Amino acid sequence: MYLALMVALPFLGAIAPLLVRHHSRRTISYAAGAVAVVSLLLLGYLTPSVLAGEVPQFLATWLPQLGLHVAFRLDGLSLLFAALILGIGLLIIIYAHFYLSQHDDAGRFYACLLLFMGSMLGIVTADNLILLWFFWELTSISSFLLIGFWFHQSNARRGARMALAITGAGGLALLAGILLIGNIAGSYQLDAVFAAADAIRAHSLYVPALLLVLIGAFTKSAQFPFQFWLPHAMAAPTPVSAYLHSATMVKAGIFLLARLFPVLGGTFEWFTIVTLVGLATMLFGAYFALLKNDLKGLLAFSTISHLGLITMLLGLGTHGALLAALFHILNHATFKAGLFMIAGIIDHETGSRDLRKLGGLRKAMPMTMWLAMITSAAMAGVPLLNGFLSKEMFFTEAYQQHLFGGLSWFIPVLVTLGAMLSVAYSIRFVYDVFFDKAHELPKQPHEPPIMMRVPVLILAALCITVGIAPMIMVSGFLTPALTSVAGADAEVYIALWHGFNLPLLMSVLALLGGIIIYLQRTELFNFNRQFDIRDAKDVFAGIVSRVTRFCDNLMQRIETGSLQRYMAALFILVLVFVIPELMNISALTGSRPQLDVDAISLSGAIILMAAAFGAVIFHRQRLTSLLMLSVVGLMVSLVFIQFSAPDLAMTQLVVEVVSILLMILALFFMPQRIPRSSTGGRVARDILIAGFVGGVVGSITFALLTRPFSSISDYFLANSVPGGGGTNVVNVILVDFRGFDTLGEITVLAIAAAGIHKLLNNLRPFMPSGDVDGRAWHQVKHPMMLQTISQLVLPLALMVSMYIFLRGHNLPGGGFIAGLVTAAAMILQYMANGVDWVKERFNYNYQSLAAIGVLIASLTGVGSWLFGANFLTSWFTYLDWPIVGKFEIATAILFDLGVYLTVIGATLMILANFGQMTTRHRPRQEGH
Amino acid sequence: MLDTLPFWLELTICFFIVLGACFALIGSIGLLRLPDFMTRLHAPTKNTTMGVGGVILGSLIYFGATTGFNIHELLIAIFLFLTAPISAHLLAKAGMHRQLKLTENTRDLRKKPEQFSDEQS
Amino acid sequence: MLTTVLQFAFFMFSVALLLNLLRFFRGPDLLDRILALDTIYINSLALLILLGMWHHTSFYFEAALLIAMLGFIGTVAAAKFLLRGDIIE
Repeated sequence: MYLALMVALPFLGAIAPLLVRHHSRRTISYAAGAVAVVSLLLLGYLTPSVLAGEVPQFLATWLPQLGLHVAFRLDGLSLLFAALILGIGLLIIIYAHFYLSQHDDAGRFYACLLLFMGSMLGIVTADNLILLWFFWELTSISSFLLIGFWFHQSNARRGARMALAITGAGGLALLAGILLIGNIAGSYQLDAVFAAADAIRAHSLYVPALLLVLIGAFTKSAQFPFQFWLPHAMAAPTPVSAYLHSATMVKAGIFLLARLFPVLGGTFEWFTIVTLVGLATMLFGAYFALLKNDLKGLLAFSTISHLGLITMLLGLGTHGALLAALFHILNHATFKAGLFMIAGIIDHETGSRDLRKLGGLRKAMPMTMWLAMITSAAMAGVPLLNGFLSKEMFFTEAYQQHLFGGLSWFIPVLVTLGAMLSVAYSIRFVYDVFFDKAHELPKQPHEPPIMMRVPVLILAALCITVGIAPMIMVSGFLTPALTSVAGADAEVYIALWHGFNLPLLMSVLALLGGIIIYLQRTELFNFNRQFDIRDAKDVFAGIVSRVTRFCDNLMQRIETGSLQRYMAALFILVLVFVIPELMNISALTGSRPQLDVDAISLSGAIILMAAAFGAVIFHRQRLTSLLMLSVVGLMVSLVFIQFSAPDLAMTQLVVEVVSILLMILALFFMPQRIPRSSTGGRVARDILIAGFVGGVVGSITFALLTRPFSSISDYFLANSVPGGGGTNVVNVILVDFRGFDTLGEITVLAIAAAGIHKLLNNLRPFMPSGDVDGRAWHQVKHPMMLQTISQLVLPLALMVSMYIFLRGHNLPGGGFIAGLVTAAAMILQYMANGVDWVKERFNYNYQSLAAIGVLIASLTGVGSWLFGANFLTSWFTYLDWPIVGKFEIATAILFDLGVYLTVIGATLMILANFGQMTTRHRPRQEGH
Repeated sequence: MLDTLPFWLELTICFFIVLGACFALIGSIGLLRLPDFMTRLHAPTKNTTMGVGGVILGSLIYFGATTGFNIHELLIAIFLFLTAPISAHLLAKAGMHRQLKLTENTRDLRKKPEQFSDEQS
Repeated sequence: MLTTVLQFAFFMFSVALLLNLLRFFRGPDLLDRILALDTIYINSLALLILLGMWHHTSFYFEAALLIAMLGFIGTVAAAKFLLRGDIIE
């Protein structure tokens, strides 16, 4: 429970800085800091049990049918990362308080930061792979917000977009990989997955799953060849870089590798891919780090390099390598976060991050210099600092591996080369900034506020103490972490001194070589200048634009805007699926006795068919064709009545007329006749498709109607009164059994209507001044007799609709039909009396009517929570009042009221606004 | 159920229904057979409305005698008798506006006699 | 007797509907079609009432009421379209 609370707290707490965003900066920072502190305390509360070897777990089922659970665990690995995330997060919050300028929106910053913190915590504590993935994507999103925090800068936006695109794409690959793993293991719960490790490794889908997971991890951890997004993410505010790109987000990929190492690791594929990618990334990052002139750029590439180092260790996969990897994760987070903060301090106090412009700051910022020297030395791997220890272990592992047979000696050599470069850029970071000769700077440099240095101070102190006394400081943490990665009997032993051996020689070589490389760096710069290295940003932009263009072309070919084409595609697909099934049944006619043909049915059928053909034949004269359609609609509703479905018939009737009204409205703006444009072949094709589809659908209907057919309707019939308190099953289904569906539908209806309303807004349509034969329109706008009678009709219609609405629960009717009837009556007023007349008497905006409707329906649903029932559970009872007698009240009627209002609002929003479109623009030349 | 009413009541109902059916059919025949739009307008708007009126009257009596008085039919009747003239009025207005061809005997009082068309539509 | 009479009426109205359909197709003007449509609506309404008596139920009367109302609105809309083009102004 505390565990879940710890993860949830940053998410809930993200609101806190926003709530106080109008207060002083101090309050906002306190609010954010308090959240981190409380989470940290919770972690501290849980720590002893983890160190004692327990694994606190939390499980709440969410969608058990899909294997989805909200499940958290806090094993050693999680603890290590959670401590990093929360601890460094807290330091970052302190640091950011001083770093952000007065113009920055601190509330938004801290909210995003906390959101990110929660997502990271979620990743490292998730006990369910899908949940892990969910938090993984959340980090992508929240880091997007953080990188793009200064969204007025185009490079911030671009960097954020790139990071999102790359990590998001990687996330999709990861999801695919996770699904494969879950499928093989039969569960997404980590324990089950761990238990099925052997089966997974032996499975034929192991390699695809591994590759997909690796793509996810490598994109997140900026491994080669996906490293390019990280330098561009440096457009973020420095606290963000310090947090995301040193300690946390880029470590998520590493975490994933470590988390899944027991499942996926140890195979040939694993160590080949992971080791080589790690090695390549390490060298690549180190080389470019040395070349960068931007302080943060240097740090970004060095981060890539160090991540490569850790990845390589995980790839090697031996006991010692895993320990070294975990240890280096810890060390890298401490010194790199410190270095980023120092870069931020320098930027903040001097106004520049360019190594060519900076220099000689040792006099102005002595304290900062010392901190920079300590952290850089840790990064370079100088003895007595934490970086030295993990690097030494790394050298040992690199030297001891025999992965590539006779060529294995390549690896220690390359590793030493990487370490030399690492030393060189560390020297550059310190020397070029604090020594060298001073330059003219945008600001007079001076020491930053004390509290801005304190977080760095803490981190530097950690570098030293861990470097001197590793066993005391971290072995307690590392033991359970190693246990959860490497297996049961993990033993942590970190020694300061191993004696004179090869790894030590490698360290010495690295230091000496690094100094030499640094001294000769101009040569290297000149050497590098001859390569035309294209900016990753441009390459990325090129790829994006090429993909976009390809998709555009594809879209133009598929989405032609031709309705015929879409319909043809859809219908052909229907035919493909349905025809085989129809051919499977032995006879079309089923066993049910057939009804006799009577005169009404016969003439109805004749009219139906004739009108349907008529609609096609007259399709070039639009109004005629519309009239034909309305005959079809009328006949269909008579058919519904014939087959005892009065609800359906009423709905069909109203919908029919309302849609005809809509089409007549639209007709005004369209040519009245369509020129003959289709070629013969096309017509033949369309006739063929339409004929086939009609025949097939007819056959299905006939086959169904002539067979004894048991459906779920029996259930509804039996439960309508006891379960929903209404005798009209159709209505009870709509407002009760499937009320959630209806809620969704009316929401969609309201949204669609709002969309149409918005589209119609400010549209200036062409308005013909006369009809198709060139006759001018009649002068009288609103014939008086029509006016008079329609006003008389309105109360009648309203009464009818009220009646239909109220009795809906028990007899044919309901909110939907009633709403349409009311809307139709209102439309009649618009037609007979004009927009202005209606506005004078009923000035209400339909958008809010629809919104209120949806709101009422939703609140009715929510209301059932108050009584401890599920969403939208309806409640009803029978009251016995004197005089009135016994009657039923049900909450469903409230829900139906919501439906009623939404339908009125949406229909009128569309129709009335469509009509008003002309009124607004028509010059008022004639009265009546 | 249908045949349990007293004879005279059944007779009345039957009378109204037959009357209504005949009216309606005659109206429809008129709609089909009459020569021009203005004359055709008369048939359904008068006869068919009357026909429905007859049926409604029959139904009113029938349900009044069996299950009890039903307000629906009355409402339908009120509705129909209110709106039918208006539809006819609007259609006639539109017909004049569109200057449809008229037969000799149909006079458009806005025009002089020599302008009358002698074509049959 | 009532049964026979109802059957007779069904027959008459069915024929009437078919005649309306003929006019509906023949035109010649749009107005003729609108008029025929209106008549079809009214005749259907009558059929519904007869059906209600036949099955001895009042379930169909709301539908009949709606036909009366909506038929009127439809006719008004079509006529107004011919007169003014723009039905809501």
